Amino acid sequence: MSGRRLLAFFRRVTQEIRRDHRSVALLLVVPIVMTGLIAFIVREGDSPAVDALIVNDAGVPGVAVAGALDQELAESGGSATIVADEAAARTAIEDGSATIAIFLPAGLGTGQQVTVTVLTNGLDPFAEASQAAAVQRAMISAVEGALGISLPTVEHTTLYGVPSDDPLAPFAPAALAFLAYFFVYILTGISFLRERTGGTLERLMATPITRGEVVLGYTLGFGFFATIQVGLLLLWSLGSVEVPALGPLPSFSVGLGIPIAGNALLAYLVVVLAALGAVSLGIFLSTFARTELQVIQFIPIVIVPQFLLCGVLFPVSSLPEILQPFVWIMPLTYAVDGLRQVLVAGADLATWAIQRDLLVLTGVALFFALIAATTIRREVV
Amino acid sequence: MTVHAPVEDPTATGGAPAIRAEGLVKTFGPIRAVDGVSFDLAPGRIYGLLGPNGSGKTTLIRLLTGMARPTAGHAEVLETRMPSREVLARIGYMTQAGGIYPTLTVGENARFFAAAYGVRGNEGVDDALRLVDLADRTDTIAGTLSGGQLRRLSLACALVHQPPVIFLDEPTVGIDPLLRAEFWSHFRDLAGSGATIIVSSHVMDEADRCDELLFIRTGKVIARGSGAEVRAQAGTGNLEEAFLRLGADVEATR
Repeated sequence: MSGRRLLAFFRRVTQEIRRDHRSVALLLVVPIVMTGLIAFIVREGDSPAVDALIVNDAGVPGVAVAGALDQELAESGGSATIVADEAAARTAIEDGSATIAIFLPAGLGTGQQVTVTVLTNGLDPFAEASQAAAVQRAMISAVEGALGISLPTVEHTTLYGVPSDDPLAPFAPAALAFLAYFFVYILTGISFLRERTGGTLERLMATPITRGEVVLGYTLGFGFFATIQVGLLLLWSLGSVEVPALGPLPSFSVGLGIPIAGNALLAYLVVVLAALGAVSLGIFLSTFARTELQVIQFIPIVIVPQFLLCGVLFPVSSLPEILQPFVWIMPLTYAVDGLRQVLVAGADLATWAIQRDLLVLTGVALFFALIAATTIRREVV
Repeated sequence: MTVHAPVEDPTATGGAPAIRAEGLVKTFGPIRAVDGVSFDLAPGRIYGLLGPNGSGKTTLIRLLTGMARPTAGHAEVLETRMPSREVLARIGYMTQAGGIYPTLTVGENARFFAAAYGVRGNEGVDDALRLVDLADRTDTIAGTLSGGQLRRLSLACALVHQPPVIFLDEPTVGIDPLLRAEFWSHFRDLAGSGATIIVSSHVMDEADRCDELLFIRTGKVIARGSGAEVRAQAGTGNLEEAFLRLGADVEATR
């Protein structure tokens, strides 16, 4: 291992990235724009107004409930309108003039146990589920108000404070880990592929440089940009700077200001380790690619499953038994878990979960670096 | 017609050869890319490795530089058995594919390869760039160079460490006659200063510029000697014709 050669390699890789403005943008600008976009959607997104049709088979109490529902829904810009019968409601939903119908059954308000049915067209499950939930919430208030029955309400608090005031907080660990991992993988994979196809790797192998120096040089070069990227991303996500009003410009804040319970440096360490793992993964997988398109084709194989299973979209505990072993062999799972521990639970280095996550991420990075080094040899000999 | 035995090295003076191949064989599955090649190459001479595309020239060079592992036999460079990292620092290798980083400048490319070879200081880099007439273009981004300039840079990157043994894999492909003549005068200068040069080519009109030719066909050395000797051996005044005849002989005896 020669320090001078490593330094030359590091300098070369960083020069290459710096000269390629698109790569710089992909590494440094895109993650910030994307987290900004996610933040905007999650924080500013409105629950859509629910315009419900009501089919009333419950007589007078039904009319009272419908009136109360209309008031409740009107608070978020919606309404509840009574229609003649079920057929009219179905026709309206079918032709798109209404999205949801509520059937109030006979016996409502008489003390009997009744079931209120809600009908939607079923084309957009997520949106309709949120509408149904809105109807349910409105229904509780409406029944309370109209019929004078008081129902208990459920309030959820968490062990680690209530950071959920910010709807972005649960998404942040996943978004940060994923963006860092994904972009570093693409850039390293393609960059190393160019090294192979451009004939420079062949040429390098004709010098006294060792395979270990090549992999380490790449890891240093891309790792350098990854640390800048992760640093910027964390500053942007966790920090918030108030810019005072200036002349005609109103005051505004820069940064997402996601609340953080733990140490930002520890969060930084978690993401950087994940990104270094992406560097060696990119080098390793580029062995099996002949063109840049093929590096992209690996994304559905190696990136998407990690995205699906790392606990971002579906809680890990809710995944089927058979998928559990796969969940726990994927580095992104540990990155997301580690970030969650730090950002939400305020875990520090003394926490076993953090120790485990850091160990696994380091191990994965080293493992792929080692096999990447062996594949370089196979390619050249 | 009879098969001509390869001509013995006329320059063998008992001194140590710069390069030695000893029964080199390289197979890729059923294909014998290099099929039992043995020779000694004396220092300070230019050797032409001539043969059609796919005859095994590049594989032979990769075996000699230790970049490919032989199926049988072995290669020695500067009296050291390959592969050897120490000797790699004394070999210049200009690959067929450019092997240049397009986003780096001319100077950055040359300095990077110099560092990879373990060279200290910029003397070798400056000399190499001056040799290929790119000394005034050090700050030009390599990707913006013309095809000929790129080949020149590629040559310079193989020379930054002033190697005593130089392999040039089809260095003049796609180069105009003027630049080709320039290249050959560089090669001659390098050989004059004691370097051993192996140039592979499938262009026969370059052959006469070499001190000695090795004709390669289907992984075998089918003839060796100076241009005149090979012509005489094949009984023709034309090298191209000589190559075809010698090749046909090999085919006939298979």
